[in-house]
Amino acid sequence: MSTWIPLWLHKLGSPPTFYRVAGAVRPWAMGLALLCGAIGLYGGLVLAPADYQQGDAYRIIFIHVPSAWMSMFIYAVMGAAAFVALVWRVKLAEVVAMESAPIGAAFTFITLVTGSLWGKPMWGTWWTWDARLTSELVLLFLYLGVIGLYHAFEDRRQGARAAGFLAIIGIINVPIVHWSVTWWNTLHQGSTVNVFGHSKMPWDMLWPLLMVMLATKAYYAASLCRRARTDLLALESGKDWVRQVAETEAGR
Amino acid sequence: MTAAATAPLLEAHRLSFHRQDEPVFAPLDFRVHEGELVLVEGDNGSGKTTLLRLLAGLLHASEGRLQWRGEPWRRDVCAGEILFLGHHLGQKLELSPRENLAFAAGLHGRRDGVSPAAVLEEVGLAGYEDEPVRRLSAGQKKRAALARLLLQPAVLWLLDEPYANLDRHGIALVNRLLERHVAGGGAALVSSHGAVGFHGGEPQRIRMHA
Amino acid sequence: MSAPPLPQACSAMLRRDLTLAWRRRGDLAMPVLYAVIVAVLFPFALGPDLALLQRIAGGVVLVTVLLAMLLALDAMFASDIEDGSLEQLVLSPQPLALMLGMKILAHWLATALPLIVIAPLLAGMLHLPPAAMPALLLALLFATPLLSLLGAVLVALTAGTRRSGMLLALMLLPLCVPVVIFAAGAVAAAQQGLPWLAPIAWLAAALILCVVLAPLACAAALRIALDS
Repeated sequence: MSTWIPLWLHKLGSPPTFYRVAGAVRPWAMGLALLCGAIGLYGGLVLAPADYQQGDAYRIIFIHVPSAWMSMFIYAVMGAAAFVALVWRVKLAEVVAMESAPIGAAFTFITLVTGSLWGKPMWGTWWTWDARLTSELVLLFLYLGVIGLYHAFEDRRQGARAAGFLAIIGIINVPIVHWSVTWWNTLHQGSTVNVFGHSKMPWDMLWPLLMVMLATKAYYAASLCRRARTDLLALESGKDWVRQVAETEAGR
Repeated sequence: MTAAATAPLLEAHRLSFHRQDEPVFAPLDFRVHEGELVLVEGDNGSGKTTLLRLLAGLLHASEGRLQWRGEPWRRDVCAGEILFLGHHLGQKLELSPRENLAFAAGLHGRRDGVSPAAVLEEVGLAGYEDEPVRRLSAGQKKRAALARLLLQPAVLWLLDEPYANLDRHGIALVNRLLERHVAGGGAALVSSHGAVGFHGGEPQRIRMHA
Repeated sequence: MSAPPLPQACSAMLRRDLTLAWRRRGDLAMPVLYAVIVAVLFPFALGPDLALLQRIAGGVVLVTVLLAMLLALDAMFASDIEDGSLEQLVLSPQPLALMLGMKILAHWLATALPLIVIAPLLAGMLHLPPAAMPALLLALLFATPLLSLLGAVLVALTAGTRRSGMLLALMLLPLCVPVVIFAAGAVAAAQQGLPWLAPIAWLAAALILCVVLAPLACAAALRIALDS
């Protein structure tokens, strides 16, 4: 079945190649993340005008929205990697899936915290059972379940496959949760809050947001590279290429 | 004679299994024909159990090839033809030997003209048929599990330490079952670190090394 | 040398698991007892105010039953793994998914059915209006097999681990949110005199989907968890 995988994926999927490529990519990604983050946050927190309805409180969206986006993006990456890991038993895919989970959980946590900080001045409460918030909370539980299951196994590769299976189940689950909570809200006639309903976002608010989004993406790439490299070294500790890496590092 | 009939029952080529990327045993090559008994020998930790679990289909081979009657090994083809008896006997403690056998027969099938009662008598459990397995001694539990060998239709037996917990008569029983199975055209892989008194000719041996 | 026919294998599986459940019937009483204790604690915590208890009765009974089922889920494959029966099941010439489906059915009959039987009693203690009782029972009748099926997949995933009930709860929570919402939604609608069949129909649709897919997922999960 391995013939289905395109050749480049197979080549990049070999741990020594990935180790080298990831090592080269990481500093650039980290640099891009810091640069874009600094520019975006300066633009968002200083340059952008205050909102005519929400005042300065809205500025938390420059953290909140990019992390919310990342929490879902990383879950999608994790699910895709888990699928590849389960079907083709690619070791690198297992590593990518499992090392994405803690990063994704961190972004989800940031989303929830900033969301509730924002909710206090906006809705007068730290928490509302709105569909988007509830789905985000369920997403956090899914991440924690994946991480917990991964660490419950003695054999790390087996743990990665089991946790990957759970991640794939979760991908089906998140839309169902979102939809059912929406239904639940109409039943209970709760306050449905529409965050972006009021207006189209003006350009001087939009560009800092896009900058921060780019920064979080780059940060994810950098962080994933570092974690995956460490993990690969541990997983392949018996292999020749790891010995060579260790020798060159020691020689420096 | 077709090619399938002349091909060995089971053929392994550079077969190995890795756990945490460490090979559990060195790559193995062997063939098992019908009517052949194979002893799997090796010290503790040399991978005897792992090999048998691998051949049964409980584990995936990390490297190498496994062929069944000349075709690549497939679970759905071999499932009914292989009988695996491991350290865990697969006996429900709350059920009697007879009920355990009835369940095994429902799932795996039953040889023609074989009744559970006769099988249990043959393994020396006459009088204990309806006693919960929980109340049987370790050796008797083992005998209850061995009864499956007589009941289920299977060509290849994979027996992991079948002599453990058995007394002199029990060991003789296992040897008798093996001799009869092999004489009837069956094959068996038996792991054991003890000496085996087998009268049906010199068995093939697989030495396991970590 | 053909494998036994499917109906025979299914009935053997079902009969064995039900016999086992009957021989260990002391264990079966535990979830029921647990549900009674939890449901009784609520009035002590909230006070005997009739209107308040009436309003929360449906939800409390549902969550109680769910927790009691979670308690029993862990044992679904535990003893089969310990004594090697599960290996024999995996190696049998029968479709594993179907056999696991039978196991799940037996588990549901042994643990969820008693809970459904005492649910009206619990609801009565919490003063659930009689008009909402049919909605509660129907909701439980569809929600509990859903939980058994979803739970079985997760229990299968943890089959190769040092077992931990907390991990199972953490994994099951995201999956049971929609089930709880719709089951409780039906009861709440019935209490308000609104039509309540729509959420039940959604539960039924989900159940049909899960009856087909969950045993397959369970078999796949078990193969992953045993492969080491």
